[in-house]
Amino acid sequence: MFPRNRVLAMRTALVASMLLALLPVRAPAQGTTPTKTGPSTSSAAAEKGERWLHVRVISTDGKSETVRVNVPLELAEKVLPAVNHDRLHAGKVRIDRSEMNDIDLRALMEAIRTAKEGEYVTVEDSDNDVRVAKQGNQLTIHVLDKSGSKKPQVEVKVPVKVIDALLSSGKEELDLVAALHALGAEGDTELVSVKDSESTVRVWLDSKSVAD
Amino acid sequence: MMLLAKAALGLGGTLVLAGAYTFREGLIRVDVDEYRAGGSHVHMWVPAAMVPMAMHFVPKHALCDAAQRAREVLPAIHAFAKELKKLRDVDLIEVSDGDEHAQFRTRSGNLQVDVDSPDEHVHLRVPLITLDDVVGQLEESAPGA
Repeated sequence: MFPRNRVLAMRTALVASMLLALLPVRAPAQGTTPTKTGPSTSSAAAEKGERWLHVRVISTDGKSETVRVNVPLELAEKVLPAVNHDRLHAGKVRIDRSEMNDIDLRALMEAIRTAKEGEYVTVEDSDNDVRVAKQGNQLTIHVLDKSGSKKPQVEVKVPVKVIDALLSSGKEELDLVAALHALGAEGDTELVSVKDSESTVRVWLDSKSVAD
Repeated sequence: MMLLAKAALGLGGTLVLAGAYTFREGLIRVDVDEYRAGGSHVHMWVPAAMVPMAMHFVPKHALCDAAQRAREVLPAIHAFAKELKKLRDVDLIEVSDGDEHAQFRTRSGNLQVDVDSPDEHVHLRVPLITLDDVVGQLEESAPGA
């Protein structure tokens, strides 16, 4: 190669490398495999202290229907305030007092919070078993419907702090973002479990991005 | 001869740079296959870097109109894309019903939607950075922004 051509080639390479270095750093391009050989996504999530809300619906009647939802709580906390639709505004849901049959939720929660732990409601008859209790700062609702063929069994556990956060914004609103934030501070918790002869539904919270 | 070599080098360098920049942001990939008589088969690969650039050539009133119609969902999509960029590969939603299977997940900085059924296959892959850019531009084009 002529010396002049070599200098030109070197200059071009220099300019090209400078331009590439100046381009904004972006996410890895499509099709490229991540070079980082770090921990798995679930353990990485746990290390970062992320909290994940999981929903599983599994059909047990042989139809092989499944629904799996994995949502990081932080994502939900950031996205919810940006949703403005119908009754949902700025992460808060407006509730109509008439729909609540004039029940003062705040007063009810205050009563539950200050009450001692124990079983508050127990109904047992031929059709249903219903149990409402406060156990370890959690409100537990257990319903077993014995009348139908599916015999659904519902179990809901809600930390009292989450209910407090939910009712923190005002009498006419439920603060979903505050509730999610409070939920994030809780440990691994099974929130909802519904089992019947056709399907099982689970909603739970943990620090894994994937569920078993 | 010398002039020709310089021109070739300049053109080659420009092409390399343009190629590197174009593919740096990845590809938008759309694959649709409908398995029925007259069903459509669409396979489209578009360099993601072209989309925000192409949006500059869209008439302002058209962008403004699109932003106006989507104004309710734009902030949510923007927040969603921004948060998803922070995550590693995750399976957000997966629905299976017999032969039908739908997945909504992130892979290597891309949002990936896959729908497989006996009648059709739909696969969509969009770099999250592009989604964020496009939504950002639409928000800026919204009336009163």
